[in-house]
Amino acid sequence: MKSIFSFLFFFFIGTSLCFAQNKDQVKPERYTMSGYIKDGATGETLLGATVYIKELETGTTTNEYGYYSVTVPPDSFTVKFAYIGFNDFEDRYLIKENITVNIELAPEAEELTEIVVKANSNREQVNSTQMSVDRLTTKQAKILPAIFGEVDIIKTLQLKPGVSSGGEGSSGIVVRGGGPDQNLIILDEAIVYNPNHLFGFFSTFNADAVKDVQLYKGGFPAQYGGRLSSVIDVRLKEGNRKKFSGSGGIGLISSRLTLEGPIVKDKGSFMFSGRRTYADLITRTINKANEDNPDFDKIPNYFFYDLNTKLNYDLGEKNRVFASGYFGRDKFSFRDDDINFDFDWGNTTTTARWNHVFDPKLFLNTTFTFSDYQYTINTEFDEFSFELTSGIRDYNLKADFYFAPTPQHNIRFGGNLTYHDFTVSRLEANIETEDEPLFASTSLLDGWEMSIYANDDFEVNDKLKINLGLRGSGFANQGTFYFGLEPRVSTKYSIKDNLSIKASFARMYQYIHLVSSSGASLPTDVWFPSTEKIKPQISDQLAVGFTLSIGEQFILSNEYYYKWQQRQIDFKDGADLFINPDLEQEFVFGRGYSYGTEIYLEKKEGKLTGWLGYTLAWTWREFPDISGGQRFHPRYDRRHDISIVMMYELHRKWTITGSWVYNTGNAYSLPASRAIIFEGPGVQPRIVNIYPERNSLRQPSYHRLDFGLVYKFFPRFGEADLTLSVYNALDRRNPYFIFFDIEETELGLPVSITPKQVSLFPVLPSLTFNFKF
Amino acid sequence: MNKIKQLFVPIIFSVFTVAYIGCDLEKEIEIDLPEVENQMVIECYLEPGKPYRVLLTESQPFLDPVEDPNTLPTISDAIVVISRNGVADTLTEGEFLDFVNFKVYNYGSSTLVSNDLLSEYRIEVTDQEGRFAFAETRILPIVPIDSIEVDFNETDTAANILTWFTDPPETNYYRRVLNLNTLTSEPEQAFSANDAVFNGDDVVFGTGFDYTFGDTLITTLFHIDEDYYFFLETVSAAEAANNNPFAQPSFILDNIEGGIGIFTGLSYDRDTVIITE
Repeated sequence: MKSIFSFLFFFFIGTSLCFAQNKDQVKPERYTMSGYIKDGATGETLLGATVYIKELETGTTTNEYGYYSVTVPPDSFTVKFAYIGFNDFEDRYLIKENITVNIELAPEAEELTEIVVKANSNREQVNSTQMSVDRLTTKQAKILPAIFGEVDIIKTLQLKPGVSSGGEGSSGIVVRGGGPDQNLIILDEAIVYNPNHLFGFFSTFNADAVKDVQLYKGGFPAQYGGRLSSVIDVRLKEGNRKKFSGSGGIGLISSRLTLEGPIVKDKGSFMFSGRRTYADLITRTINKANEDNPDFDKIPNYFFYDLNTKLNYDLGEKNRVFASGYFGRDKFSFRDDDINFDFDWGNTTTTARWNHVFDPKLFLNTTFTFSDYQYTINTEFDEFSFELTSGIRDYNLKADFYFAPTPQHNIRFGGNLTYHDFTVSRLEANIETEDEPLFASTSLLDGWEMSIYANDDFEVNDKLKINLGLRGSGFANQGTFYFGLEPRVSTKYSIKDNLSIKASFARMYQYIHLVSSSGASLPTDVWFPSTEKIKPQISDQLAVGFTLSIGEQFILSNEYYYKWQQRQIDFKDGADLFINPDLEQEFVFGRGYSYGTEIYLEKKEGKLTGWLGYTLAWTWREFPDISGGQRFHPRYDRRHDISIVMMYELHRKWTITGSWVYNTGNAYSLPASRAIIFEGPGVQPRIVNIYPERNSLRQPSYHRLDFGLVYKFFPRFGEADLTLSVYNALDRRNPYFIFFDIEETELGLPVSITPKQVSLFPVLPSLTFNFKF
Repeated sequence: MNKIKQLFVPIIFSVFTVAYIGCDLEKEIEIDLPEVENQMVIECYLEPGKPYRVLLTESQPFLDPVEDPNTLPTISDAIVVISRNGVADTLTEGEFLDFVNFKVYNYGSSTLVSNDLLSEYRIEVTDQEGRFAFAETRILPIVPIDSIEVDFNETDTAANILTWFTDPPETNYYRRVLNLNTLTSEPEQAFSANDAVFNGDDVVFGTGFDYTFGDTLITTLFHIDEDYYFFLETVSAAEAANNNPFAQPSFILDNIEGGIGIFTGLSYDRDTVIITE
């Protein structure tokens, strides 16, 4: 063990020394230009903004905190700072000592900024070693049509190739054949364990509070780990450092308000954002009005809310501190004469961060995060009461160093330590007549997850760039310790200025597992640690592809991938996953593999913007204990997946948007035969369905056209718009599930059987009023 | 607990009820199901002191409606043998009615099931098509009902019943069936449970305040083996999976090699209470 950690330590220290030595031998004098790049209008830092030194034909990009650092020989240079949606800034700098240059870029004219679809430029995409990544700004998500008008960044990501939804209307995502539980979803670096509201129909991310989203599908940088299939890195807005401002909206099912402003101008800011649905206000009124009506069936009450907050403050030139938090809850309740049922679930995350510039070349981010997901079910039934709680709580400390010794090397290294506290179940049942609980059961587990990593984004020459990384991860739980070495390699070779080929390999370990046997994202899904019996899941992904910039406006990419997944987890047939203190016995283990290709063409600027994505993919699972060991497709295997997204600015005030998605139907199971079972004394005979091998059938294909119209106007207080969204504009009946409508005799014997398809959403128009001041 | 599990589907559907109003979101479709061979379905419950009885039927293609609702898809001319500790008894074909439990069997024998807990039983079935199936089991000890309590609500107009028993220390599985007035009635409760959360404790199975004066409640507490427990659980799950888009399809877990069904012993304690003032 020790030797492995020592190896990793010397890997990055050695690498640094090697470069330092190289520097001494070749060019003894070098100086560093560093600083932050910010939005001139709000003071928000810009992530991934480019810094390009014309004479050297090289450059760098800002990190996740808007910081850049570039080290050059002493001379005078023309440096260009750029970020899409902002005017470029170019100036000459005499660099004969270390200098700090903080830049505030001015947003481009309004007509262009609202239609910018992607944050990184063509040049950056072609030249970067990073492949299999999508970055979104929330501006894009906000104008695309959305179900019930609820803007959802996760659903916008589902429109990218290689990414598909868990099902109709679901904000769960499936990436390159990985399960919905194999996505690492982080909000300001804190893990969000259940990123869904309303059983997956809406995500927990309020677009008003979000600044930037990055989705990694492969070629994972070494700083990320813990899940097999994807990383969704969501960053909250920091708040306007220039002036007090706000934004919000009133929609069909929810309203939202965001307030932000300076704590001290240009030194610190705050952001507070909230969202709440209000269907429960209507159902409560209806229930109250019918209180005395004995024939009225009460309607359950349901609502959810999200609160986001963030504070940041500069402590001088070299230190910056942040604190951010998220608190969200779903609340469901039902009351009638016989039963009171309350079901609450939600996430809490907290992040405290300290950015420190040791030296212009060395930047440190230290983060403490707290993540909590809990659900509680309370039921009162006559004199019985029953309470169940389950969840997971994490305490995480991590440090990330950014070291840029030369323009050719961008080194990043660090480590993190997480304590996981699992409440698999805490159950208590009581009866009014007894003082003591009828029965009580608690299943608590914990574990330590740790990692250290280092990677170097190394520009070998003007054509070849390699990102070489290594991550060592470990997990300790009740005397069991697992260790994994996770090599990460990405490389880019430029064939021409506008064309590069890329390849990547990444190994990922996943030490905690989601216990979920249903097709939907249920709040009762439980996270479970690796144990002596349950070994960590492993994936290896190989990807190759090219990126071609066609002029300034278009970019085309094509990737091929193959992913091997070891120690995949499923559950025994008839497994009891709900309140089972011996859950480990219900797991079965197997393997999986997926492969495919993704084509992506994007138009990034102009009056018409948008993209076309196509994915051809196969996903397989193979478990000795399922379907007799024969391989099968998981439910979310989709052979073809097409998405077309377009946004067209008709006029300064009018924007028209549309998207069309097509995919192969879900794999699913239906019974092939039936048997009559008498089932012993005291019960009636029943008809039982017998299923063939798992997921041997296909639902009809899915396609949907959405349409949107945005009308902008400019009242005295600032800006406003009315957004019309039409979800499923063609009113197509897409399959949600298929069932058999069976007409039976008194004994339950079928006399007619009709297969039927149920669709979830017809055409759904909605209108949202948004404002900004 | 099962009640709570079953609440998820109504929760989701209640939220989207509004979407369905006035919208035709359900339509008939055509499906080609994979062709599978019919399998032998064997059910045999060995009850100490009662004769051997077996119901032998076969599975049917799912989309084929029953031609005659009064006829079971029984298998004729099969050789059905039950052995106790290696001593074989070939059952004869016929119509064997169990009027107490309202059951019917098509193979039987006059041999009585022993209450010897050490005996090992084996069933072998061979039919005219050459299909062969077998299974093994034994009889479990009875877990007695300690007491049955009747409680009334605050207005003394409705009663519930509490069935108390003591769970033995090792891993145990139960099936609780509660019938109102007669054993042939649709059961008020029929569920199976394992003792993972109450192992070795005093246990109570309760009801709501659903009963009134004059009601006769028949409580049966079956002590069942693991095979029967998983058979019941997967049969229930398979039944529930049909119209539930959130359920995984459940494959029947049973102890019949070469067929479907269950061969198990029946050990139970039964108590009857009449609710009086």
